[in-house]
Amino acid sequence: MTTHISPQMASSGTQHGKFEPYVNNGGTTLAIPGKDFVIAAGDTRLSTGYSIHTRQSSKVFQLTDKCVIVTAGMQSDASTLHKTMHARLVHYEHAHGKQMSTEAIGQMLSNMLYGRRFFPYYTFNLVAGIDSKGQGVVYGYDAIGSYQSVEVGAMGTGQSLIQPLLDNQVAYKNHQLVPSKELDLERALSLVKDSFTSAGERDIYTGDSVEIAIITQEGIKYETLQLKQD
Amino acid sequence: MSMDNFGLYKLMHEDAPKNNNPLLEQPTLAKTHTTDPIVTGTSVLAIKFNGGVAIAADTLASYGSMARFRDIERLKSFGKYTIVGASGEYSDFQYIEEQVKQSLIDRDYQLDDGRSTTPREIYQYLVRVLYNRRNKFDPLYNVLVIAGYENGKAFLGQTDYLGTHFEDVTLATGYGSYIAQPILRKFYSEKNGNITEQEAKDILKKCLTVLFYRDARAADKVQIAVINDQGPKIDEPIKLETQWTFKGF
Amino acid sequence: MFLMRSEYDRGVNTFSPEGRLFQVEYAIEAIKLGSTAVGIQSRDGVVLAVEKRLTSVLLEPSSIEKIMEIDTHIGCAMSGLTADARTMIEHARVETQNYTFTYNEPMLVESCTQSICDLALRFGESDKEERGMSRPFGVALLVAGIDEYGPALYHTDPSGTFVRYEAKAIGAGSEGAQTTLQEEYHKSMSLQEAEVLSLQILKAVMEEKINSTNVEIASITVANPKFRVYNKEEVQAIIDQLKA
Repeated sequence: MTTHISPQMASSGTQHGKFEPYVNNGGTTLAIPGKDFVIAAGDTRLSTGYSIHTRQSSKVFQLTDKCVIVTAGMQSDASTLHKTMHARLVHYEHAHGKQMSTEAIGQMLSNMLYGRRFFPYYTFNLVAGIDSKGQGVVYGYDAIGSYQSVEVGAMGTGQSLIQPLLDNQVAYKNHQLVPSKELDLERALSLVKDSFTSAGERDIYTGDSVEIAIITQEGIKYETLQLKQD
Repeated sequence: MSMDNFGLYKLMHEDAPKNNNPLLEQPTLAKTHTTDPIVTGTSVLAIKFNGGVAIAADTLASYGSMARFRDIERLKSFGKYTIVGASGEYSDFQYIEEQVKQSLIDRDYQLDDGRSTTPREIYQYLVRVLYNRRNKFDPLYNVLVIAGYENGKAFLGQTDYLGTHFEDVTLATGYGSYIAQPILRKFYSEKNGNITEQEAKDILKKCLTVLFYRDARAADKVQIAVINDQGPKIDEPIKLETQWTFKGF
Repeated sequence: MFLMRSEYDRGVNTFSPEGRLFQVEYAIEAIKLGSTAVGIQSRDGVVLAVEKRLTSVLLEPSSIEKIMEIDTHIGCAMSGLTADARTMIEHARVETQNYTFTYNEPMLVESCTQSICDLALRFGESDKEERGMSRPFGVALLVAGIDEYGPALYHTDPSGTFVRYEAKAIGAGSEGAQTTLQEEYHKSMSLQEAEVLSLQILKAVMEEKINSTNVEIASITVANPKFRVYNKEEVQAIIDQLKA
């Protein structure tokens, strides 16, 4: 993908006569599942190239009482996907008389993304929720619907900075002696905050603020963390 | 060619570097869509103030580097409570005005229930129109700024030809996003969002002047519009005051 | 019964002045000619039992199939035109598989029943391109299954109406069977008691003497939520427990 230097018109960097329908609007998302909780977060910066469009564009979308989706990639595709999912969820509730389970949402999103296999949504999704056993679960996706349950998930422009560290600190990967401490909500939350603060230092597309959704059996609470605007 | 924002150099100059490699892009007779804007408007600026939104743009539509149409309107009122400002392909904006404005405004009159389509609804509708056209690989080459006033609250949003959309307290498109947006953001935060209508109009005028000095596609004939509980009010074009007596010039 | 029905009893798209759709009512009547089927929900599962009318000694009993699986966790018993039931079950099988493909979990028994009734209601529908259904289905179903809410039993009829029951009988002997169910059924019934009761009822309403080839019985339990039709030995074991 070409780097867009111009403010918004797809010109410099693109070939004359070829319309480029995709743009990466930057930003980082993160999700950590726990035994009886799950945290999902996304920064609120929206940019194209070196321009910051706005400092308050949400990447977090609440799907049910115990499930959210966080999406990095192209903003217009993301919001279209969120709206389409919302419509499916409302219809499902009418048809089946219950909210869709987190597992069902996981499979449905995979099908929705694969349905656009030949003109994909340029989105990188994390579905975070409480599953039917009451445990925290996070599903990570590629743009065309491949998905799996993950121990920790990071997506977007800050993924390469955050993922390896969280693999180490949450999934306890690459240790000589594996610590056997179970991750509690307090430590998970502090890891999320530190991750975004650090990504904001090194990734120009990550910053402004972070929206954090903390999901437990009791419901979803939201927190906001201010980040640097540079 | 320091910056060829719309890739017009190759289009307009016969002697532009030719691509002689037969393996690279060749002209095709297949069905074509708009791939580059031709007649374009430059920046649109807007800022929220206490009880409304101020929005501004110059009156120029350029044909490449030529100042082709010097007295056109890039700010249009859409219904009772909305003003839309457009940069980019001017014909596409005229099309949008005709189609979208008609269908939205007709609805207001035909229903005759006293309710008008709100700025947020018009914004979301425009987002969908532009996004659906990009899905057809036949984009409407614009960046639109939607300013309005609904239920006692100011509305300000932006959408582009990819369907990218967002709201903010200050907005600027084109070169304005580089030059005017930092000025507007600083002004807004220094005032803590506590801005009068006159202050809003003044800062927009100042930004347009800065843009006229630095953006080669900007003009000194501008329109500033305001939308508040009284509805839209688009002022007649005014001439910017400029000072060219610096030694550097 | 057959008086003055010349105008309104033919089309499925026309109500009579009294507000009735006769073809649908006739279809419901047709079920009362069918073999008896009984369904009983108990606290630990659901039982379905049907009588098989073996009209000839030359008839191969296993070729009559009146209890069928829809998905692993849902099954159904039928009474009426069994050919129509196959169309409905085929539809339900597609719906449940499609649901699992989309949501990676089993479909609710109620949703499955609803999808069967959506199909049942499509009589009289047609357009220029496609030939629709010319008449209502002439069959009633007892849909039994287990989902996240536990055991469930539903009854569907040709009008596309479905109702949930704790115990329900359909077919020729349904009136007497339902009366017995009303008397004998209790909420804390075990699956074994339900098995015996269902065959006890069939025994009472059947013309032939009950044996392990002229009845079919199936069940699904909470402990093992897989719908399963019993083999001959299992059927005989229950018959052996029946009162004389």
